[in-house]
Amino acid sequence: MMTEKAEPRIGVFVCHCGHNIAGVVDVAKVVESAKSLPHVVLSTDHMFMCSDAGQQLIKDRIKEQKLNRVVVASCSPRMHEPTFRRVVEDAGLNRYLFDQVNIREHVSWCHMRQPKEATDKAIDLVRMSVARAAELESLPIKSVSVTPRTLVVGGGIAGLRASLDIADRGFEAVLVERMPELGGHVRKWTHLFPADESGEQIIAPLVRQAEHHKLVRVMKDSEVVEFGGYIGNFTAKIKNHKTGMVKEVDVGTVIVATGFEPFRPFGYYEYGQHPDIITLAELQEMTPRADLIRPSDGKKVKKLAFIGCVGSREAGKLGHEHCSRHCCSAVAKAAADLRDRVDEVVIMYQDIRTYGRGHEELHRLARSKLVIYSKFPKEKKPVVQIANGRIRITWYDVLSGDNLEYEPDLLVLASAMIPPADVAETSKMFSLTRSADGFFNPEHIKLAPLTTHTAGVMIAGAAQAAKNASESVVDASGAAAKAVGLMARGNVEIESTVSHVIPELCSSCHTCVTACPYGAIAMDTKKSPPVALVTEAKCKGCGTCAASCPSSAIIMYHSTDEQILTMVEAYLCPSTQTTGGVA
Amino acid sequence: MPAAAKPQSSRKVAARSSRTAAKPKPAAKQVAQAALVVGGGVAGMQASLDLANQGFKVYLVEKSPSIGGRMAMLDKTFPTLDCSACILTPRLSEVARHPNIKLLTYTDLEGVIGKVGNFKVRVIKRARYVKEELCAGCGACAKECPVEVPNEFDQGLGFRKAIYVGFPQSTPSTYTIDMESCIKCKRCERACERKAIDLEMEDERVEFDVGAIIIATGYRLFDVRRYYRLGYGRLPDVINAMEYERLINAAGPTQGHLIRLSDGKTPQSIGFVQCVGARDVNKGVPYCSRVCCMYGIKNAVMAKEHNPSTDVTIYYADIRAFGKGFEEFYEMARTRFGVKFLRGRAAEIIEDVRTGKLHLRAEDTETAQPQEFEHDMVVICPGIQPPDDLDKIAEKLGVAMSNDGYVDVVHRYFGPVDTKMPGIFVCGCADGPKDIPDSVTAGSAAAMKASIILAKGGAA
Repeated sequence: MMTEKAEPRIGVFVCHCGHNIAGVVDVAKVVESAKSLPHVVLSTDHMFMCSDAGQQLIKDRIKEQKLNRVVVASCSPRMHEPTFRRVVEDAGLNRYLFDQVNIREHVSWCHMRQPKEATDKAIDLVRMSVARAAELESLPIKSVSVTPRTLVVGGGIAGLRASLDIADRGFEAVLVERMPELGGHVRKWTHLFPADESGEQIIAPLVRQAEHHKLVRVMKDSEVVEFGGYIGNFTAKIKNHKTGMVKEVDVGTVIVATGFEPFRPFGYYEYGQHPDIITLAELQEMTPRADLIRPSDGKKVKKLAFIGCVGSREAGKLGHEHCSRHCCSAVAKAAADLRDRVDEVVIMYQDIRTYGRGHEELHRLARSKLVIYSKFPKEKKPVVQIANGRIRITWYDVLSGDNLEYEPDLLVLASAMIPPADVAETSKMFSLTRSADGFFNPEHIKLAPLTTHTAGVMIAGAAQAAKNASESVVDASGAAAKAVGLMARGNVEIESTVSHVIPELCSSCHTCVTACPYGAIAMDTKKSPPVALVTEAKCKGCGTCAASCPSSAIIMYHSTDEQILTMVEAYLCPSTQTTGGVA
Repeated sequence: MPAAAKPQSSRKVAARSSRTAAKPKPAAKQVAQAALVVGGGVAGMQASLDLANQGFKVYLVEKSPSIGGRMAMLDKTFPTLDCSACILTPRLSEVARHPNIKLLTYTDLEGVIGKVGNFKVRVIKRARYVKEELCAGCGACAKECPVEVPNEFDQGLGFRKAIYVGFPQSTPSTYTIDMESCIKCKRCERACERKAIDLEMEDERVEFDVGAIIIATGYRLFDVRRYYRLGYGRLPDVINAMEYERLINAAGPTQGHLIRLSDGKTPQSIGFVQCVGARDVNKGVPYCSRVCCMYGIKNAVMAKEHNPSTDVTIYYADIRAFGKGFEEFYEMARTRFGVKFLRGRAAEIIEDVRTGKLHLRAEDTETAQPQEFEHDMVVICPGIQPPDDLDKIAEKLGVAMSNDGYVDVVHRYFGPVDTKMPGIFVCGCADGPKDIPDSVTAGSAAAMKASIILAKGGAA
């Protein structure tokens, strides 16, 4: 770690963010107040500091004024800290000599109707940041190498596609599937949309290619039992259920494609109480034949009914609030296909969500074949009763305003897509967070749907959210691109804002080892007595260890005690700070 | 049978790709280690970054003066209400700064010859009359310019000068002179300290070789004037959703004040009309536009955020809240924000000339009653269509189109981002409507497929 010997020369740059900040905060006043703070050489403003012109302004001023610290008062660092770090770096400063003050989310947006107080708060925050900036130190820029191999977890359609793309691109893929066969759910399905093939026809060529590709190592009947390491340098232990053998593989990146499970809706619409009440997934898996037959007695089905949104779209019911996305189109496709084999098809729905390319056509096709669609209200779902072995559905049809009843030979429940039963273990294994729907959280829901908060671990297909098979294929190729991007570069930069244990002060109490939520601290047994040691590439810089250390033996780089306390001091004792800038 | 490939052709594709996988061709040295991406919206930017991050050179061609596409115009994004410009701007800088990406803005595709692995591309860099390498985007020129014209970026609701950037985060930040409006007074030339203005500048032809091409040309909004009875274009307080985005945007023409265009008053009651130019066979748009339900709900929620006492109603056919977090957002709009939902397509909007109010006629299909509702403002939520010039671009590239004017893909499973021309891929809305995450995902997927070609030498 280097120390800055030179006298701090701080530049303060206040952003208007169009009207977002300037509409509430008196920017000119904030700029003016910063001018009198210690070490501040320059204080100025710009409409959008993140724009090219704003960035250029910072670079130009750094050079002209020989600034060695930069404070930008703008939005949350969540988005633009990397932007401004690069700006100061381009101007020749170490990226850690930059500090960002959030006067938008923390000021103008939350104090929209109190402009005066908001301005005062912005002035306080800038003063604190300037005090901190004077204490900032350069930190080294580090990188780690990336092992050119990807672990793909899950051999369904997404895992297969991802493995093949990685292999076709020239990198190794290790494809782990816990079942004896590759292909996941799609393999079992008869009515795939919007294509006209069966699941088997779609999956078979992919399986064949994967099994013959010299860069794809297929491990069936296998599961990842242990996983550790950090971006570029993961190690996975993979256990074969049949042989009991455990193999260890080193990989640089991971794609989690663990898919979903069809919800088995016990407690809904008498599911489980009658053999002729089945789920859409169970219908998909029925052996295709000329006639559609009833599971109960093998007789031909004449009247077929579907009920939509079973275990989906239930506000307030955790894990069942989401729309399962694929069911509307899957029902339309199945109904259109089966209409030719039965006398009547009735679909009870809430909304018809045939949103994708070719999906509306399936909906229209079903209607043109005289499939009956009937909308039921969200708050008054159909009621299914079983009397004398017959299934009887009564419901309210919204569009006609009539109470209807129907006695189908076969009732198909379009049940939700939910995460696999062991999703919690998978989530823990790969340090992935989950959203309310139970599926894994992407890094950013809009712009980074395939990467996760664990650097080097990607998600694809239904592991990320309920989606259909053709969408999962696109996901898979996209996630493969992320993995290949890391492997092709060969190394990646890691953060230096990590914790560091001072060996001389460590009392070997193990408190930090248990406190660390990322498993980044271990005891260095080569030392006597053993002291705590941080694996920097795994450390997220959260500071939990430093806070828990009874010996104050842990330094948080970039958030040292001095850097924090000086901010508190600047807030509480502004008068001592206003002696004026440097000459 | 949907618009996807016929089973026969798909089998052919499957067979071909399995053959290639079994016998990869030796890396051919003559494969150009570069790619062309046509379109600098969110999908094209993602495709460019994912290729550039693998070490390949990317030529990103964008016809407008800045990258960013439609997403740059949006105020907030569903379902998290993230500020669109705030999450997009780092992406713009990342693309502009990437050493492997050559950004060609204000540039048109002129022609492409050759085949997979070896395309020769010609583009025309239109004259901006401002030198990109000298302009620092300071804006001193625009201050001096005496000509004001409607700003396309603000949907014509605000004004820009004849020398302009469409929006503050414009990337590159280079100014552009719109010669159709310029009166050649040369005030800008005198104002520019860096001598960046060159009124004699001419269009420039640029040629380069690439191994693969990605089409990411985006979409245009359905022209809602085609529904004459909805009054758009005739009634000033009937606006379209993109105009609404600019009206509620803090950097927009009203600095984020939601006002009626007729009298500048704050609307107390707003109606949102869904499925206009979508799911309508008669207007030649039989498909669902996929984003309108959610952006409609988002805009309705934003109306409540701007003014919680506003009465907000959405007129819909089906609410298609199908993506991650969408249904939950829809539920929140109903219960927490009190947005009203009425199932029924708007039939007609008329203006009460005495009160200035709009009367929206629709059948409430849940009661089967035709009804009339009063609003201060109505926002029409148009569907998505292929961009105007997509057919010309497709012709230059030789890729097949489907009946509805989008680029056709090989197969929804075996080639969802592959056009029928080997070596040319497609992502974003160029092959059909998509929301932002789906466009980004497709951008990454297209980059993956293109990179296989660049790395292997022509294997498709």
